[in-house]
Amino acid sequence: MEALSRAWRSDFSWSFRHSPVAIISLGVVLLLVLSALLAPWVAPHNPFDPASLNLMNGFTRPMEPNAFTQEIFWLGTDDQGRDVFSTILYGMRISLFVGFTAVLFALILGVTLGLIAGYAGGWTETTIMRVADVQLTFPAILVAMLIFGIAKGITPVDMRDEMAIWVLIIAIGLSDWVQFARVVRGATLVEKNKEYVQAARLIGRKPGAIMLRHILPNVMSPVLVIATISLALAIIAEATLSFLGVGAPPTQPSLGTLIRIGQGYLFSGEWWIILFPAITLLALALSVNLLGDWLRDALNPKLR
Amino acid sequence: MLSRTALAMLTAAMLSGTAAAETFRWSSDTDPQTMDPHAVNSAPVLGFLNNVYEGLVRRDKGMAVEGALAERWEPIGKDGWRFHLRKGVTFHDGSKFNAEDVLFSYQRASSEAADTASWFAPVSEVKIVDDHTIDFLTTAPNPIFPDSIANFMILDKGWAEDNNAALPSKEEENFATLNANGTGAFKLVERQPGLKTVLEPHGGWWGTVEHNITRAEFTPIQNPATAVAALLSGDVDMINPVPVQDAAKLKQRDAVTVIEGIEARVIMLGFAHAAETLKYGADAGKPNPFRDARVRKAVAHSVNVDAILQTIMRGSATAESQLISPAMRGYSKDLSSRPAVDVGKARALLAEAGYADGFSFGLKCPNDRYLNDESVCQAVVSMLAKIGLKAELDAMPVRNYWPELRADNFDMYLLGWSPGTFDAEHPIRFLAHTPNKEKKLGSWNFGDFSNSRVDELLPQIQSEIDDSKRQAMLDESAKILQDEMAYVPLYVQPLIWGTRDNVDLTQRPDNFFILRWTTVK
Repeated sequence: MEALSRAWRSDFSWSFRHSPVAIISLGVVLLLVLSALLAPWVAPHNPFDPASLNLMNGFTRPMEPNAFTQEIFWLGTDDQGRDVFSTILYGMRISLFVGFTAVLFALILGVTLGLIAGYAGGWTETTIMRVADVQLTFPAILVAMLIFGIAKGITPVDMRDEMAIWVLIIAIGLSDWVQFARVVRGATLVEKNKEYVQAARLIGRKPGAIMLRHILPNVMSPVLVIATISLALAIIAEATLSFLGVGAPPTQPSLGTLIRIGQGYLFSGEWWIILFPAITLLALALSVNLLGDWLRDALNPKLR
Repeated sequence: MLSRTALAMLTAAMLSGTAAAETFRWSSDTDPQTMDPHAVNSAPVLGFLNNVYEGLVRRDKGMAVEGALAERWEPIGKDGWRFHLRKGVTFHDGSKFNAEDVLFSYQRASSEAADTASWFAPVSEVKIVDDHTIDFLTTAPNPIFPDSIANFMILDKGWAEDNNAALPSKEEENFATLNANGTGAFKLVERQPGLKTVLEPHGGWWGTVEHNITRAEFTPIQNPATAVAALLSGDVDMINPVPVQDAAKLKQRDAVTVIEGIEARVIMLGFAHAAETLKYGADAGKPNPFRDARVRKAVAHSVNVDAILQTIMRGSATAESQLISPAMRGYSKDLSSRPAVDVGKARALLAEAGYADGFSFGLKCPNDRYLNDESVCQAVVSMLAKIGLKAELDAMPVRNYWPELRADNFDMYLLGWSPGTFDAEHPIRFLAHTPNKEKKLGSWNFGDFSNSRVDELLPQIQSEIDDSKRQAMLDESAKILQDEMAYVPLYVQPLIWGTRDNVDLTQRPDNFFILRWTTVK
């Protein structure tokens, strides 16, 4: 109780309560994440179960009965007779899962390398940071596609579908670690010369322990901000890759795959196949991004 | 005043200039994989190369055979044909065409490295009589032989040998896959696989020029919406195909015309008939159920072709029960009904074969070859799921697809077949006869279907001159293929091209786009 009321009275919480943008963004994110998590119970159909699909339901308009089966779908159906609403919920699971896992992967990799570079200095730092600089010169999506291509080449053919999601995660994660490494290295350079670190060194703590127990907690707040913004970028990166046809397998569509499918029907007038997944992707990416922006401001003492 | 007249004249000159010099741009969803006319026997390749290379004979606008590099031909005795070659024909590089080139092209196109060897299965020997006369001797009387070699294209012996391309290469690149030297109305000036291919008229062409094109650029556009957008914006003058879903809307637009026809191409499902075990899915390594005709029949009973036609194909295709469409010569009229959609019966057939609980396997599918091919495959996956068969779909571009099929990397696959001769004998030779490299038969029978009676019938069909006897044998063969369910024919794909209104062209029923019949107004 005590802790709760202290949290309520904190600057952080105050800033949140006084930012309508943050409140709405968090609301949208929570709504989308929850409906994705609960998709098996919320969605009226399971679009990943091919046996449950009826092709005659294909291209049903939103809120109108299908000409053959008389079934009604809130947001219409796609070319295979998949309910667009259910497919969005299930597709969002893949988008969010890939996004979260990829950012987590990038975060662990980037923070570790950043800490080591900042703390060790010398050629270790030079090597790590030059690699990071070189990678920064390529657009992230290009790096992700390169990694995806290599992984496709070396995974056995019959494993590709199962591996596709993990390859996607690694590809996006590897293209995104640089931001974390640079920020953490910078913060570490500042922290490592402070008295508490020197004290820890004097009493003989090992470098690993100093990095993990002493420096890491003090460099984490910018990491949190980058992680939030990276999440939005990772979701978009996944959508981009899937849109280009190199991401999630067609039988397990993510939001990007749905948009790709819908794009083929833009001229023929089936607007709902692309519109609703696109709106969902936009809402998800935008609110995560806005949340990240607010977090950056809230955690920045200079802006208070 | 003077300057105004000059200006008007200049404008007129510029206008007429643009009218005389026409760059024609067109696009298709499939890039011809190769520029080698003997390396891949597929419509995108042969169709494209018909503009660059020529055969002894060629097809006119109505598909009838007419002379090309051969001026005329006549049977010699019962077992052969004599071709009198056209004089004064030059290849694009200027070298002269003669009988040596025909003999060389025959050897090249019938070699084991070629994909076109099946065309020459009936040929026993080719003999040069003189510089401009050549004999093709056949093992048995073959009344349709000149008809069957309209796509046998002649290339220059010296050019091929000098450039180390004396043999075609199906999958690896060689000089002839990227360059061309034919006698056709157009020469290849630029080739960037998958990006752009540029043709220009061959100044020394022997024929009468009907077109007014000075430069033709081909760009493959895989995404259907992008292709439609390119046509609407005038970035391209012609697209093949128009996505079926967009045909109705495009017809209402001003500057473009939709040209429709019935294609000869039958889309079907093929099986691994000979493989001992399944290769993909959770049951990989277990005995191959598709060896059992009952399982193949169960597949046929589970696929709801009408649903595919009504939704994915928007009513613009017709269901099919044989390997050829009704418009082809030798179609078996009494065998025109498809197996009824019957999930109960399909399940019963599976249970009878010992697969009551279904099984899991891999379905291979192209995603840039036939109209909405990937969508159709996905629909097939969900239809098969209803009888307990779990298909893992692997869809890929056609340049990866043929090598996968040739390497037997499938349990089940999607294939479209258009008989180049417009005759029922053609698919039996390519798809149904037991694969036999020596006899050059069954070269696209990837699943190794084999039936001794069909093998026995084929040579008889080829040499039979009496129409009703021939039809009886074709009927018998079609019946066997249906009873055995060697393939599951699905539907006949429509031909839908879109052009800008200022383009005048001819849509040939084999879906070949012939540039020399195209004018731009």
